[in-house]
Amino acid sequence: MRSYFPVARATYMIGLVYRFGFLFGIVGNLVYLGVAYYLWKSIYRYSDVIRGLTFNETFIYVALGSAIFILLKTYADWIIHYEIREGAIAMYLTKPIDYQIYALFANFGALLMNLSAITVPTALVMLFVFKVNFVFGPGLFLFPISLLLAFLISFSIDYFVGLIGFYSESVWGLSITKEIIVTVFSGALIPLQFFPDGIQRVLYWLPFQAIYHTPLMMLTRPNQGLDVFLAMILVQLLWAGLLFWLARLFYNQAIKVLRIAGG
Amino acid sequence: MSLIHIDGLTKHFKILNRREGLRGAFRDLFSGDYRTVEAVAGISFDIEPGEIVGYIGPNGAGKSTTIKMMTGILKPTSGVIQVNGLAPYDNRIRQAQIMGVVFGQRTQLWWDLPVIESFKILKEIYKVDQKMFDRHMDMFNELVGLKALYPQQVRTLSLGQRMLCDITASFLHNPQVVFLDEPTIGLDISVKAKIRTVIKELNQEHNTTIILTTHDLGDVEALCHRIIIIDKGRILYDGDIKRVNALFGAYRTLKLQIDKFTDSTLHELNLKLTDCYGAKHGITIAETEEFWTDVTIDQARTPLSDVLSFVMNNFPVIDVRILEISMENVVQRVYEGALG
Repeated sequence: MRSYFPVARATYMIGLVYRFGFLFGIVGNLVYLGVAYYLWKSIYRYSDVIRGLTFNETFIYVALGSAIFILLKTYADWIIHYEIREGAIAMYLTKPIDYQIYALFANFGALLMNLSAITVPTALVMLFVFKVNFVFGPGLFLFPISLLLAFLISFSIDYFVGLIGFYSESVWGLSITKEIIVTVFSGALIPLQFFPDGIQRVLYWLPFQAIYHTPLMMLTRPNQGLDVFLAMILVQLLWAGLLFWLARLFYNQAIKVLRIAGG
Repeated sequence: MSLIHIDGLTKHFKILNRREGLRGAFRDLFSGDYRTVEAVAGISFDIEPGEIVGYIGPNGAGKSTTIKMMTGILKPTSGVIQVNGLAPYDNRIRQAQIMGVVFGQRTQLWWDLPVIESFKILKEIYKVDQKMFDRHMDMFNELVGLKALYPQQVRTLSLGQRMLCDITASFLHNPQVVFLDEPTIGLDISVKAKIRTVIKELNQEHNTTIILTTHDLGDVEALCHRIIIIDKGRILYDGDIKRVNALFGAYRTLKLQIDKFTDSTLHELNLKLTDCYGAKHGITIAETEEFWTDVTIDQARTPLSDVLSFVMNNFPVIDVRILEISMENVVQRVYEGALG
């Protein structure tokens, strides 16, 4: 494991090289926050509570949802697909490393970059500009763990989509479709409580809600019992393990295409 | 025991025959018309520790496919392949530790970071200890003056500088065998010479085995004692370079551009040359590209200068170039039985 840490460090440094990238990231996110603020403010004009959520809760949810969205956006699917198509993957296959773990650490570096460059500034703006009140509770302390698991789940889905590059020359459409499915079904765009009950029930059985809904609930509703949160974390853990393992199986299958059919 | 043992190695690829046009593309979606290509068709050889072997052949001969099987990227269709006693594809991670690889067309360095960072990452990946790392870096620095490049972003390096860094990187973990796939491609003469020196020094320093594929026969002449020529997936020649050397060392290709060129010009040239130097003149003539005629001359039999002045006096020559013999030509000569 130790030998993979420099890989995360390297991607973090690459983020630093492209300074303007995160400057635009922060500005873009602030614009989105402003729009979301006034949008939800007007939705809440006639009632204090909609679907059991107050304005404060909904806004934290939506704003942090966008912050997590940017945080998790490490473009793993695009990068992996590119490396497969261009044959750069050969460079990894001739090194004593496991490609999945390598990719995980490379994306973890990008995650840390996003965290320090976009997510933390966004959180500060929310605290001091929009004067949002965070409520303290056990959820707040479990949030970092939940976020890390969310990253694992999100990475495995991206990795899976990227690996389709072994079979298909283009994953553009697939990546976009994945993006939309994840954003909508995970509750990143609209809190899951706003969906009709039937759809909600289905969505709770899918892995996507574990990426956004779970960590966001820990911040918006941190005062529920500890057992509720631990159950949520357990579900995340199961999804993270299952998807990581499935992606691994898929890789072992897909790499045969390269190794048998040629690069 | 030999370091690399290959016996009856084959590799077949299944290639989809693409149909023409939009309709064809749609039909390809559902039904594939595959054909099998035999990239490597049963080769056998052994390589001893410390050897520098030139592995040469024309484009599509199967060189890269063999290298990819030796490095564990591709799985052979049949046959035995062992590096240090183990099959590379079954023990990829373990085998990668004792191998170094440079693919000339591609870099293993981190494109966006300063050069030194790539070395540091590789140091961790290969678990090289600090002492050995420092010693290696000092040695490379002495050889090629690498230190000046440390703070430079890889993307801003020239092709030659990048190649020197890539070669350095492939030797970093003191591998038993290094595969160099076209390490001098696209480089100018002086950089080529530098790279040859470096490869030679590195080979001597730790008795590292080196397998070199190249299009440049100069590389082979400068570095290798042994040469393996491969074409269409089969080995044409495996042995001492001296015999081959005599072959392509003596040949030169005279490229001529002749004014008012017609098909009969070629015939006329051939006739006149035969008239002048007899049937055993060791000269072959072929039209290679438009307006250019290649005259290949065996200098052991007919001096180049004679042919040149003869042609200049008898034909309206516009332009002349003199080339060393090409890989394709060597292979053709081997086929014709030049090595007996």
